[in-house]
Amino acid sequence: MTQAPVLDVRDLEMHFAVGGGLLDRLKLDAKGIRLEKPIVHAVNGVSLSIAQGEIMALVGESGCGKSTVAKTIARIYEPTKGKIRIDGKDIANFGFAQMLPVRARMQMIFQDPYASLNPRQRVRDIVAEPLLEQTKIAQERAAVPEKIARLLARVGLNAEHAGRYPHQFSGGQRQRIGIARALSVTPGLIIADEPVSALDVSIQAQILNLMKDLRDEFGLAYLFISHDLSVVHHIADKVGVMYLGFMVENAPRDVLFARPRHPYTRALLSAAPSVKAKRDIEEIVLTGEVPSALDLPSGCCFRTRCPFAWKKCAQERPQLQDVGDGQSVACHLIDAPERDTR
Amino acid sequence: MMKDAANTALLTVRNLRTYFHTFSGTVRAVDGVSFEIGQGEVMGLVGESGGGKSVVGFSILGLIDSPGKIEGGEILLEGRDLVTAGEDHLRHVRGREISMVFQDPMTSLNPLHTVGRQMDEVLRLHSDLRADARHKACVDMLESVGISRAAERLKAYPHQFSGGMRQRVVIAIAMLANPKLIIADEPTTALDVTIQSQILKLMRAQIADKGASMILITHDLAVVSEMADHITVLYCGNVVERGATRDLIETPAHPYTRGLIDSIPDTSERLDRLSQIPGSVPDIRNLPQGCNFRDRCPRAQALCAQKEPPLTPQHNGLMAACHFPLHPGERL
Ligand SMILES: Nc1ncnc2c1ncn2[C@@H]1O[C@H](COP(=O)(O)OP(=O)(O)OP(=O)(O)O)[C@@H](O)[C@H]1O
Ligand code: SF4
Ligand SMILES: [Mg+2]
Repeated sequence: MTQAPVLDVRDLEMHFAVGGGLLDRLKLDAKGIRLEKPIVHAVNGVSLSIAQGEIMALVGESGCGKSTVAKTIARIYEPTKGKIRIDGKDIANFGFAQMLPVRARMQMIFQDPYASLNPRQRVRDIVAEPLLEQTKIAQERAAVPEKIARLLARVGLNAEHAGRYPHQFSGGQRQRIGIARALSVTPGLIIADEPVSALDVSIQAQILNLMKDLRDEFGLAYLFISHDLSVVHHIADKVGVMYLGFMVENAPRDVLFARPRHPYTRALLSAAPSVKAKRDIEEIVLTGEVPSALDLPSGCCFRTRCPFAWKKCAQERPQLQDVGDGQSVACHLIDAPERDTR
Repeated sequence: MMKDAANTALLTVRNLRTYFHTFSGTVRAVDGVSFEIGQGEVMGLVGESGGGKSVVGFSILGLIDSPGKIEGGEILLEGRDLVTAGEDHLRHVRGREISMVFQDPMTSLNPLHTVGRQMDEVLRLHSDLRADARHKACVDMLESVGISRAAERLKAYPHQFSGGMRQRVVIAIAMLANPKLIIADEPTTALDVTIQSQILKLMRAQIADKGASMILITHDLAVVSEMADHITVLYCGNVVERGATRDLIETPAHPYTRGLIDSIPDTSERLDRLSQIPGSVPDIRNLPQGCNFRDRCPRAQALCAQKEPPLTPQHNGLMAACHFPLHPGERL
């Protein structure tokens, strides 16, 4: 069964040129005065692949580039480099018109359901919008209202809700509206950027359950962006860990949580608080903070906070390498296990 | 009022009621909340959005402004009631006896002044130290919250620090006056998990070091379960349950507490579905008759619609407000 993955991303890079005042950018060096053009290296060569019905999560802390990956795949941004294949077709350089059929395959849901819903539109129109964009034949358009009513019921909203405006809903209900809207075109892939981060925990559980049910029902694939490891553990089949725009580890869910290999993944797991009595896991405490994406460290992106870093880490950028069981890790420790002192 | 000599509580909140009189009706944000905090103790105040956690914090600090008003109850700090105290006494209490840390560090920092000046101001107000001794105290404090090159960093402005570093500065300022109580309202909610764990460790160390007490306000049960000695759970302005942390987390008596704990995904377990509390928090201006939780509660019976359940003793020293509480280990 070798079907093309729904989504296949190769070596994706996304760099942003940032402004800044003229004076901030003037640099005087041996060669005289230069005007520097600062570049934010938000995503630095990320590859991933998601099969039909599969949920892949990207985790990492703020600024690690996970949302930029999501938005670049959704072509909200123009990728700097790399391939984005949807059902095998590279859309990285597609123009607006070419994207229309792609939007029938790929939809996005966002963290803040309120900001992403037009406040002046009624719920039924919000949900129908992506579908109407795809359906130009009058006969098919006539069937839209019924489909919308079915969708709203499926995500747990009722007919009376269809005539209301977004501000009349709670956060969890708004996220249900966002999900119904994304589902309207019967997509194969949903890119979800922190879809439950703004919700209270009891509502978060409702939305996570709904998203899982919909995956089973429609064979959806998700790219699920989250900073919350326990949420990721619950929903994902496989997980990519990002740091400073790099994918530092990538593994099936159970492998990653049972046997994290990258020091950053290990630190993330040990820092995550839990209601369960102290788990039996190693404690890796990080000092310091994430460096600026304007000025990436040489060698390994994580070396400035890594408790194991040595000379090689400053000299050479570690590449993702396969360590078996579907797990890949970008860390020099893999080739120097004697340095892994814990 | 009885003053019990054996009562060693640093802070006793009794039947606190704080209402907001808005155009669309009276919001009973805090409606009869009681708890105690001993010296050196960390109390976690948890619950979902709108539960009244922050309003409790602001009430203790005497920072409730119109249209809000403390309608009744007592807030006793070492036996002295803050509800009836004058603004002069409250001003003395804030900063010297009670410090606060908020989610957004910029709530507490002045963007126009250097960190050093803001720290020095606290000491000028609350100590008799001379300028050079104050400077040294500021350097030491900044170092103790994990900021290196402290003497130099004192000259920096808040915007020159990252979010995590700013929160460290706020904690340093909060600790400077040697307060008896720290009220921390979602102090790490805006921070990344590795930074959060640094800040929580730091807060715990500072508190242990100074013998201070803390009210840790958060929606994150995992955070309080790792930090707090006792937990108080709020729902729609009422205490629904309180008790010692491990007992409350492992054998809660109130269905709401059980539901909250069960809806948190956990990396040590593999579940296909999370158990979920149905529905959402009701509009606090239109609470149901009887128990506030009954529309969402799987155990609700006729009695729950008739009578508001009072806070009563349960197993393991827990207190819960429920007509049909759970037995130890019972699931919903
Ligand atoms: N200034 C105000 N005017 C009117 N109502 C208010 C005011 N401040 C708070 N409230 C109401 O009081 C109730 C309790 O709010 P509070 O902020 O204490 O909740 P919380 O538990 O801290 O929630 P969160 O987790 O969202 O911070 C809410 O219904 C809120 O809308
Ligand atoms: S009093 Fe009744 S409705 Fe309220 S929590 Fe207990 S069982 Fe549920
Ligand atoms: Mg609050």
